[in-house]
Amino acid sequence: MARLARPLFYLGLAAYAFLLVLPLLNLFVASFKSDGELFAPGFWPANPTLEPYREALQKYPLARYLLNSLVVALGTTLGVLLVSATLGYALARIPFAGQSALFGFVVALLLIPGEVTFLPLYLLVQQLGWLNTYTALIVPFIASPLGIFLLRQFIKSLPQDLFDAARIDGAGHLRMLWHVALPLSAPALGALAALTFLGSWNMYLWPLVTINRSEMMTAQIAIAQVQNVEVTSWNVVAAAAVLVLLPTLIAFLLAQRLFIRGIALGGLKG
Amino acid sequence: MLLFIVWPTLSAFWLSFHRENLLGTSREWVGLANYAEMLKDPAFWRSVGATFVFAAIVAPVQLVLGLVAALMVARPFPGVGFFRTLFFLTTAVPTAVAAVAWGWFLHPVGGTANRWLEALGLPRQPWLTSPELALPTLAVVTAWAGVGFTAILLTAGLQQIPEELYEAARIDGAGPWTQFWRITLPLLSPTLFLVALLVLLSSLTAFGQIHLLTRGGPMESTTVWIYRVYQDAFFNFRFYYASAQAVALFLVLLLLAALQFRFFGRRVHYG
Repeated sequence: MARLARPLFYLGLAAYAFLLVLPLLNLFVASFKSDGELFAPGFWPANPTLEPYREALQKYPLARYLLNSLVVALGTTLGVLLVSATLGYALARIPFAGQSALFGFVVALLLIPGEVTFLPLYLLVQQLGWLNTYTALIVPFIASPLGIFLLRQFIKSLPQDLFDAARIDGAGHLRMLWHVALPLSAPALGALAALTFLGSWNMYLWPLVTINRSEMMTAQIAIAQVQNVEVTSWNVVAAAAVLVLLPTLIAFLLAQRLFIRGIALGGLKG
Repeated sequence: MLLFIVWPTLSAFWLSFHRENLLGTSREWVGLANYAEMLKDPAFWRSVGATFVFAAIVAPVQLVLGLVAALMVARPFPGVGFFRTLFFLTTAVPTAVAAVAWGWFLHPVGGTANRWLEALGLPRQPWLTSPELALPTLAVVTAWAGVGFTAILLTAGLQQIPEELYEAARIDGAGPWTQFWRITLPLLSPTLFLVALLVLLSSLTAFGQIHLLTRGGPMESTTVWIYRVYQDAFFNFRFYYASAQAVALFLVLLLLAALQFRFFGRRVHYG
């Protein structure tokens, strides 16, 4: 029975994986089809062509859109890491009046879903004159309650002896943060970085309302624009989508562990 | 944090008690008028209904798809890394790309879905173009996009179940089916509950795929709550009325988040 079960198990795995990947595979395949072949029957292109990619790159500044997304995602990630590490350290290691109240406050903020603050946030950003800037896409997301929470928990769990030893060596809080807490928090920081990067890269609603100048669009919003213009040339839309997918896909494959860890950590909290 | 989270939250409430004049140049305090209008607005209630139908499809579909994937790859076997990558892959797919992939897959003429239906001798389906089918279709698309995320969390949950329990059960002669119902499901249920809440929470604010695939149509069948807010604020130029609807959505989400939070608190203490 075991001998029979094993091939069956792999068959089931393969079938399920195929089903889950099918829409993406279908998109990938379409991006190599010529205009004439697009609506012809047959799943695979008979004569694969790079023409849709050439057209997508020629008609749309996709490199610029991807660069915008990259700047925003990297900027947000760096900001979140910096703020979370500093505040997380302060909440875990520097005793001050109202510390636990402040921590409770951060935890309470975890409950506020971003989709609902976007209208007043829009007005605020508009008044600050930030519409159509990177600032609008980065700054509001830097103080991340989740990041502060994760780092605080992590730094709190580090052995107190290390900090005592550093103090005896004459280290202040800044040096302890930089030389003791941060190197030891690398796993938490890495997971948080992966999570923030992915979240920022995938933002849709917020850039949709704060960006309307074409050269400031992020890749996600640009796709909507390409899809609107290319009503029938689905191969061009597919090529553009594949180009936008590639960076996250590569990042995911390279940093799979970090991503998964980030999601497991972030998910168990929300 | 005060500026970008606390202030907007408070001001969301404040805005919802106001109304703009026709030119949008000034605003006046109207008390609860926005809420009163909202409660009498059939368009609002349609969007609430659509949201809950949507979530009621997304949650079970995503949980079952994710659970099946997690059950397959939770224990190590040769090649497990490869299959984990494939099962978790949708996590790395931006909403916009997922929407385009499905838009093409379900295309009325060139889409593979309808081609295969025809090959089986079944009629083509107006997936995204009929008011009856569009919302369930979008829900399935959303569930698919979330499978990777669900599978990761459930895999983590499954790995916490001690292997010895299964060994003991096998010695007692329990088959895989009994093991699943008697061991896996009960022990996984805390994780399942948490994941279900997370899925529910995120499905109530799904936006990108709707904007890209149906723009709330056909005949407003896919205008969910958050889409209604977006439409009223940026197309009907009723920013303050939209704020009232956003605050109402906030309260519903808050309730769910509070549940999840209480639950998480328990896990931290005893888990």
